[in-house]
Amino acid sequence: MSGPEPTAVEVRGLVRRYGAREALAGVDLTARAGEVHALLGPNGAGKTTLLRVLTGLVDPTEGSVRVLGACERGRAARGRVGLVPAGDRSFYLRISGTENLVFFARLNGLRRRAAFARAAEVLEDVGLTDVAGRPIGGWSHGMQKRLCVARALLTAPPVLLVDEATHDLDPEGAERIRALIAGLAERGTAVLWATQRVDEIRGFASAVTFLDRGTVRFAGSVEGLMAQAASRRYVIRVRNGHPGALAAEQLAGLLGARASVLPGAGADGEHFRLEPYEGVPLGTAIAALADGGIDVLACRQERSEIEEAFLALTGEKA
Amino acid sequence: MTAAVLAEAAKLPAFVRRDIKVALSYRVAFASDVLGLAAQVVVFSFIAKLVEPSKLPTFGGTQVTYLEFVATGIVLNLALGVLLYRVAGAIRQEQLQGTLESLLATPTATATVQIGSVASTLLMVPLRATLMMGAIALVFGLHFDTGGIVPATLIVAALVPFAWGLGLATGAAIVTFRRGTGLLGAGTTLLGLASGAVFPLALLPAWIAAAAEWNPLAIAIDGVREALLGGAGWSEALSDIAILIPLSGLTLALGVGLFKLALDRERRLGTLGMY
Repeated sequence: MSGPEPTAVEVRGLVRRYGAREALAGVDLTARAGEVHALLGPNGAGKTTLLRVLTGLVDPTEGSVRVLGACERGRAARGRVGLVPAGDRSFYLRISGTENLVFFARLNGLRRRAAFARAAEVLEDVGLTDVAGRPIGGWSHGMQKRLCVARALLTAPPVLLVDEATHDLDPEGAERIRALIAGLAERGTAVLWATQRVDEIRGFASAVTFLDRGTVRFAGSVEGLMAQAASRRYVIRVRNGHPGALAAEQLAGLLGARASVLPGAGADGEHFRLEPYEGVPLGTAIAALADGGIDVLACRQERSEIEEAFLALTGEKA
Repeated sequence: MTAAVLAEAAKLPAFVRRDIKVALSYRVAFASDVLGLAAQVVVFSFIAKLVEPSKLPTFGGTQVTYLEFVATGIVLNLALGVLLYRVAGAIRQEQLQGTLESLLATPTATATVQIGSVASTLLMVPLRATLMMGAIALVFGLHFDTGGIVPATLIVAALVPFAWGLGLATGAAIVTFRRGTGLLGAGTTLLGLASGAVFPLALLPAWIAAAAEWNPLAIAIDGVREALLGGAGWSEALSDIAILIPLSGLTLALGVGLFKLALDRERRLGTLGMY
């Protein structure tokens, strides 16, 4: 039986201050080869600062950073890390996608011919071959984002840092990027994926570090994060076979001490927010409604467990 | 060590290629540069009609016209200006267009990024100055000594590190304070004023004229005039180059040092990519 994958990124007690403000306040993180490690947190959590420190663009104030076992920073370290930055202005817009990639490939040490060959390969990987010869100023945002990923793949780095890669992409574009990154992780790349989109990490990331105001609030598996969910709220759609809207009081009477119920947004008499009391299974509450002659046509979580956990960990009211 | 330097040097053509591609995408801007210079020369050709040649210094015993005198001055002044603005603004421009962090995230030395960002300008400026001089001479029928072209080009080349160093020092201020083009404009004007580009230095107050003797731009302009207008040959040019090289070297070293300090500070503060 094989042991855990080797550690690719190890951060201990990392502090980064900007004047009096502490962007990172003693962060610990371990990311392994072959895993997508989500760096989750709200705006201003310190995710981008952490990635910048790992890339060597920002020096840490205190603490240690090891990438692939080496703690030296500088050019050699930068060669081992690929970065997909958050901003959408990291290319030369007047020149083509191919020319941009060839330029960055050469800065990564590839000779001219090898740079062109590699650029063509990664453009193919991200599905941009057809437009590669056009100036990227005319490309859509999603295409530019895919070009960012292509650039990070130029040297097949063992560690890939991805900052908010999908936050403004359409679902199809976001899924395409995630599939690409998941494929890299399967081939052994350690991926650190910074995001504030809580639901995208389910089924995608295998580990998660939750940052809030520069502090780690949670570190572990995605399932472990979901267990942090503070409350269970559901949106139900009901019908009682009689004309007229159902009043929340009528439902509350049937539920008794099993759950609380409130009218849903719009108060249309069909949708309600249901929250079972502590220790009461959802099925028990639904059964009480059914016994009272109410058909429960649909039931879904108001928020996912990850979203609930996110709000619980940031201290925001659900 | 040598292999590392060679590996870094091998990256420089990539910057030149990038800049040529970008420059070619701005064809109108390139043409407007040429038109701007042509307009200046036309204006000075009319002013030349008002200036009595006997008021001008002689070069190699030859009395020159005002247009011959001023053409060398404005072409060199323009070349210096282009070089200064490009060097000073190169990193700032990367910062503004959002590409600086992407560049610095690659395993490339900061010095390579800096040199690479101005490599095409360093190559183009002497070439452009020579071509412009040739074009002006042809259009206005000016008499330049063809034997002076190579010495004059070398004098311009010896001036390049001076402009580069000055540009780096200004670039350090721009990276630190996010502004500084005003400073650059004022500096360029003062340098131009004390260079004898458009009027003889003898017209300046004595103390400014004395200080201007050590202005590398003034030395270069005078050297180019001696070579092209006075047919002074190599000995004069070499003595000018011998003065220019240490001045240029010192300015370049100072500029490199200041620029490195500025970038290190930005990295320490974590504000490198901010604009």
